[in-house]
Amino acid sequence: MKRGITLAYWVVLGVTILIGALALVVRALDGLKVTNLTQIVPWGLWVALYIYFIGLSAGSFLLSTLIYVGGVKRFEPVGKIAMFTAFVALMAGLLFILLDLGHMERFWTVFFNRNPNSVLEWEIHFYLLYMVILVAELWLLMRRDLVRWSQEKKGWLGTLYRLMALNSRDISEKALQDDMRLVKLLGLIGIPVAIGVHGGTGAIFAVVKARPYWYTGLFPLIFITSALASGGALLTFIVAFFSQLEEKARGELVGGLGKLVAALLGVDLLFIASEFLIGIYGAIPDHLATYNTIMFGPFWWVFWILQLGIGAALPLILLTHKRTNSNITWIGLAGAMIVVGIVGVRLNIVIPPLTRPLVEGFDTAYIPFTAAASLSALPATLDQILSYITWAGGLILLVALGALILFAAQKLGASIGQPAFYAAGIVAVVVIVFLAIRVVGAPGVSLAVNGGTAWSGYADMFAQTDSARQNGLYFPTLIEWLTSAGVIAFCVALFSIGKALLPLETKELSAEEMERARKSPWLARTEVNK
Amino acid sequence: MAKKRYAMVIDLKRCVDCDACTIACKQENHTPPGVAYTRVLRKEVGEYPNVRRQFLPILCNHCEHPPCVPVCPVGATWKREQDGIVVVDYEKCIGCRYCMTACPYGARFFDFGENYSEPLNVFEAQASNEYGKQWNRANGNSPIGNVRKCTFCVHRLDKGLEPACVQTCMPKARLFGDLNDPDSEVSRLLAERRSFVLKEELGTGPNVYYIT
Repeated sequence: MKRGITLAYWVVLGVTILIGALALVVRALDGLKVTNLTQIVPWGLWVALYIYFIGLSAGSFLLSTLIYVGGVKRFEPVGKIAMFTAFVALMAGLLFILLDLGHMERFWTVFFNRNPNSVLEWEIHFYLLYMVILVAELWLLMRRDLVRWSQEKKGWLGTLYRLMALNSRDISEKALQDDMRLVKLLGLIGIPVAIGVHGGTGAIFAVVKARPYWYTGLFPLIFITSALASGGALLTFIVAFFSQLEEKARGELVGGLGKLVAALLGVDLLFIASEFLIGIYGAIPDHLATYNTIMFGPFWWVFWILQLGIGAALPLILLTHKRTNSNITWIGLAGAMIVVGIVGVRLNIVIPPLTRPLVEGFDTAYIPFTAAASLSALPATLDQILSYITWAGGLILLVALGALILFAAQKLGASIGQPAFYAAGIVAVVVIVFLAIRVVGAPGVSLAVNGGTAWSGYADMFAQTDSARQNGLYFPTLIEWLTSAGVIAFCVALFSIGKALLPLETKELSAEEMERARKSPWLARTEVNK
Repeated sequence: MAKKRYAMVIDLKRCVDCDACTIACKQENHTPPGVAYTRVLRKEVGEYPNVRRQFLPILCNHCEHPPCVPVCPVGATWKREQDGIVVVDYEKCIGCRYCMTACPYGARFFDFGENYSEPLNVFEAQASNEYGKQWNRANGNSPIGNVRKCTFCVHRLDKGLEPACVQTCMPKARLFGDLNDPDSEVSRLLAERRSFVLKEELGTGPNVYYIT
């Protein structure tokens, strides 16, 4: 059973990465015309996912500083995992922003063409500094285990650990203390950097006075609180389901994390409520229109269902209700829900404020001059082949999701009653299928906004009609979805490999083990060298 | 040479919504579908029988304090010292589109690489002359993947010509000149007539004025 799930997991990841890579090739060859971005909505799914992953990263990192700087010993077992999660999430965020560039090949020029007035430029430096701190801290934390493993493990693994240990050999208590002192120092420097990383990412939006919805002082703070909530939720999820800790220790840890996440989520909701109430009271037309789009636009469900339902209400109930708030599985599930729900928060940050034309009539002024026929960006046959691949990929993903739900049902069965959970599973599958149909725009499913068909059917997802470039409605193309899925799958795989290979969850050495390590011929030799 | 401050004055009483400026601009700059540095907005006001159509030609305002300029992470866009024109360096721009979100007037466009016809017809295949260089839109080369915008036809100004939209305007609704020269036509018009600019409250200081 366990082996089967592991195999299925890697197959799903592998297939997704492969499809994502294919989509990436299409995107690289054809440029941004494979997206559904328009002149009115120039930022879409990729930018939303970029801020989402930067948020996850900063959130995880800030929680880890709680341990190493704040001295909260209780959370120590998740410290290294938090740090590694932060690293992988940062990778994902940077990949997404790279994907979004009109000229990907010029990304390196940001280090040479300077503009000190640009928040984005500052952010790039923050990301780099942050990455250095992250890697250094992680390495220091793993160093002793790496040194130890480099002698214990044989073959290529041993070589890998020897390489990663970077020739350091000292595993004495004093060296460990020195390591921890450095970790604390780095963590201390890391706090303002991580706040800069995500608060600054919020500031990218907050400094844009052209968009009233972004242009508030609270915006960067919302970024930080939601980052903390999502980072904490991700850790809760990982520890609850994938930790190798013993049941009791895991329970305490997950319970503590769950409470912390609930509190952070509460603060986040408070901030968002403040933004909404003040914006709606002020009723500046552009501002109001954004809220209108978020709450009652064609993608109302992103707000009500994804952001508020899955991302806030349900997990808050699970985390606070006395019947569920001491059960590892439920708390872990709440964490997963928040991690998913925050995607809705990010989508609603980036896209709705852009959908309203800046000057009234801008989107309709130019329509007589758009091309009459819709032009296919891809040859019909390639389009066909890609469509088969995507349908197959989608099916595999759905089957995998079903399997996961069944798996969860088995784990949960004892606590809540299986029939209810199976029913929930079926409803979830139906909803997923429904959403999938919406995503791929199966025949007969289309959406008319502003009197025109914004996206209709499958063909438009690949081959964008020219007129849609003037549209205020944005829905990502299949290529955008697939590349995103590919990048995410890639980073999940990276995380899994890292979790399997790196000493992220090792315990303190026992006296016996220390003794054995000291006696190893490899270390003895180094002491002679000294 | 004295610093210039190029500005455009648009007489809304003269505009007849012929869209000749839109077309002239597209021809001059060889812009792809969806990209139109200037366009004419239309609005109907009143109820029958007292109905009137109002027109508002819009283009880049070449602001005194352009919000699109400071946000660029690579400094690929700036306001020229000598004449106040806001330009984009196509070779520097990485296509992040931050400036598009920062412009309050929607004056910036992204070149997604689309064309009106496949294969390209003779006119579309010709190079654009922006900034006095030859830009061939092919194989994803710049300006494909770049942000593009109105340049006040800087390549024409260098030859002593007016911007294409000004030259083509049949009712002479568009006037172009140097606001630092008190004798220029634009300076005199702004002194004589009532004028307004778009979104003045944002403090961008637009250099496209509307007179009514």
